[in-house]
Amino acid sequence: MEWLIWLIPLLPFVGFLLNVFVIRHERPAGLVASGLVAASFVVAVTAIAMLAGLPEEERRIISVGWEWINAGDLRVPFGIMLDPLSAVMVLLVTGVGALIHFYSIGYMHGDARVVRYFAYLNLFVTMMLFLVMGNNMLILFLGWEGVGLCSFLLIGHWFERKSAAAAAVKAFVVNRIGDAAFILAMLAIYANFGTLNFYEVTVAGEVQPGFLERVPEIIGQSFGPSWQPIALATGISFLLLIGATGKSAQFPLFVWLPDAMAGPTPVSALIHAATMVTGGVYMMTRTEALFAASPATQTWVLWVGALTALIAGTAAIAQWDIKRVLAYSTVSQLGFMVAACGMGAYVAAIFHLLTHGIFKALLFLGSGSVIHGTHDTQDMRKMGGLRTAMPTTYWTYLVGAGALAGIVPLAGFWSKDEILAHALSHNHWPQLIILFLTSLLTAFYMGRQVALVFFGTQRDTHYHAHESGRVMTVPLIVLAVGAVIGGAINLPWGHWLTDWLHPVLHEEAGSFNPVLALIATAGAVGMSYLGWWLYTSNAAKVKVGGKDPAYRYTGDIWDGLEEAWYVDRLYERVIVQPFRGLGDFLARVFDPQGIDGLVLGIGRFFGWAGAQVRELQSGYVRTYALVFTAGVVLVLSFMLIFTR
Amino acid sequence: MVPTSYYILLSAALFTIGVLGVLIRRNAIVVFMAVELMLNAANLALVAYARERLSIDGQVLVFFVITVAAAEVAVGLALLVAIFRTKRTTDVDEVSTLRG
Amino acid sequence: MDLILFLITAAVALIGAIAMLVSRNAVHSALFLLLNFAAIAVLFLLLQSPFLFAIQLTVYAGAIMVLFLFVVMLLGAEQVEDTPDRIAWQRPLAVALGVGLLGVAVLAALRYAPGIPPGGAAAATFGDPAELGRLLFTRYLLPFQVTGIILLIAVVGVVVLNQYGRSKAALKPPPGD
Repeated sequence: MEWLIWLIPLLPFVGFLLNVFVIRHERPAGLVASGLVAASFVVAVTAIAMLAGLPEEERRIISVGWEWINAGDLRVPFGIMLDPLSAVMVLLVTGVGALIHFYSIGYMHGDARVVRYFAYLNLFVTMMLFLVMGNNMLILFLGWEGVGLCSFLLIGHWFERKSAAAAAVKAFVVNRIGDAAFILAMLAIYANFGTLNFYEVTVAGEVQPGFLERVPEIIGQSFGPSWQPIALATGISFLLLIGATGKSAQFPLFVWLPDAMAGPTPVSALIHAATMVTGGVYMMTRTEALFAASPATQTWVLWVGALTALIAGTAAIAQWDIKRVLAYSTVSQLGFMVAACGMGAYVAAIFHLLTHGIFKALLFLGSGSVIHGTHDTQDMRKMGGLRTAMPTTYWTYLVGAGALAGIVPLAGFWSKDEILAHALSHNHWPQLIILFLTSLLTAFYMGRQVALVFFGTQRDTHYHAHESGRVMTVPLIVLAVGAVIGGAINLPWGHWLTDWLHPVLHEEAGSFNPVLALIATAGAVGMSYLGWWLYTSNAAKVKVGGKDPAYRYTGDIWDGLEEAWYVDRLYERVIVQPFRGLGDFLARVFDPQGIDGLVLGIGRFFGWAGAQVRELQSGYVRTYALVFTAGVVLVLSFMLIFTR
Repeated sequence: MVPTSYYILLSAALFTIGVLGVLIRRNAIVVFMAVELMLNAANLALVAYARERLSIDGQVLVFFVITVAAAEVAVGLALLVAIFRTKRTTDVDEVSTLRG
Repeated sequence: MDLILFLITAAVALIGAIAMLVSRNAVHSALFLLLNFAAIAVLFLLLQSPFLFAIQLTVYAGAIMVLFLFVVMLLGAEQVEDTPDRIAWQRPLAVALGVGLLGVAVLAALRYAPGIPPGGAAAATFGDPAELGRLLFTRYLLPFQVTGIILLIAVVGVVVLNQYGRSKAALKPPPGD
């Protein structure tokens, strides 16, 4: 039983190794990569079925491979675990991941580096599985950094494009900020709890404690003055929050995610839906005990999430790139999840994470299908009227958009409603209003996107749009089914997910508020229709390279939204440009004149001195003899004077 | 008897002339002769001091100097001949390929 | 009587040395040096060193000077200094250094100036070649043997120095010629 859970992360890893060292051709690479991830999914389902068979208090399978680090007091076993929280994450990662792998076979067909692409994709899934299955902070960090690395490699897959290379570097660098905070949090945890394990584990007959189980004990008692434990919990959890803002693309570190669209579309789907960005939310949920001990951090988390949701939601409205709309939408929905964490509604956060993983993967793969069918067109101004040319994509996309907009009874409605209901029942009024506004915006921009892409007439006729192949449409259909029924896992009447996560999160099912649900649904439907109506009736005003029809009413505000409130430009001005200036100064002035001047100056001096002294070696024996004689006279004079 | 210092002064004068010969003359053979002159000047001083101290060891030393000088001249002149074969000159200034 | 003889001989030695220095012709230089060596040989005799007198004449004036003359004539190196001196600037310096050296030597000679050498019975028998020979084969036996080795090495060296070039020249003529 224990060994079974090792198969879950190791199967994709085997795929990675095979694709790196053995496979040389596109077809076997795609089949092996998606086959092994699918196998991992099957293993995960089996393992979870076994997990479900255990009594509720014992639903945690921990397996230690070996003692990873044994240095003084620091003992880190290489241990993974499967508990209800990990289980749902594993299902999402392997399930959606397998579909994305399968879809990639069609999407990446004919790419020059497709074997490498599948290798990275497998490694990505492996690392994400280690992230969600690790039983200590260090393995979580291994996966955390691993997905960072893979995102860098995959965003930069088409590194010949300058924008892709720059986006890859940007993703990597921005993530580093969060990672630094995460490392500090890890050190603080080790310093105060003496262990990095989440839960108690037995290694070679020796029991190692887990810090999550000791949080009440440490935070509650063993410190002196009463403010200290709070300060400790606040410090650690705040550092973890910064880590999560980096990985889960929250304000102010969300800027890397929209740029990450430069990668292949299935990669965007993988990063946005199944892996990577969910890491931050998962991590906060896992260490929920620490956050619960610090009300201050909770407030910060709540505000960060709400503001991110609003900023990204407004930015998504004004985008022209089909993928950038979805990117900002992802940031916005992640803001919902983080806000839910901040409210203490971790189940709601995970619920939204799961449903969002499904319908966002659907939307990304659908947009990939659109891009594929329109020969690499991403600008929505060049699209229009595609619903006749690509019916399957249209219908599945419509389902995904509805789910994202929160149309009842699709998956997104239930999860989003749970977050809003929780905010209402716990009286987080400002955040409730912000999140509600954001959900209206969400419905609006999805209506706008569907109208721009699929309705009206094709505005750029330089290409012939066609439906994608079966290898790409089948994953879309599967995901569309998931987006329809996904909400069923935590319906207000069944709350199966809440019960399932109860051993980990100890949360009771929240109350269902029919009035709020009704208002939210009405708003979603109304705003979707508004968006759709606005852009279908004004379709004639949308020109290739032109301004948005809404620009007429909002003016420059629209430009600001398109640039996501100029956060990127702020970084450009405040951080990047001074750095460039400094680098420029160092490279053009200080290095050639200061360093080189010094170094070359020393070299030149000795060269010059050598040239001068060189003259002394005239090669004339008589000159040497002359000097020698002078020395003799001097020494003799010295002896004559100073000796008696 | 003549005072020993006279001999020493004569030796000093001869030695100085030898040094000047090395420093001024360019003909390698003449330079060699000047070296021999210096050796002889030193010999003269040694013999004079030996007489002064009534110690015959000084004369033995001179004997050795003369023998070694003979060997040195033989080798030195052989070197000169070898150089002459490649350079076609006995001018010491011409043999200056080791200049910096 | 001794003093007059010394002065004449010293004058001859100095004249020989200076003439060697200033002669343009290397053969003349060699001959003047021969004169100088002969004068020094006479001075050795004045200093009660009959054995050295003999050696000076046979080895120096005889063997070595003959060798010098032979090489000068073999190489045809009588007059090589007719080209302008490239480092003429160091001639005054050389003279100045010579004067300095002479000054130092004279000062040293005067400071430790010994007077008239002692006379007496010991002085009368001083410089006996038999005594010198006895010393050579007793106290100075090791240096004596080493001298022999030095001479042997010199012979070998001379042979090697000239053998090398000849064998090579026999194989192929030097490219410069």
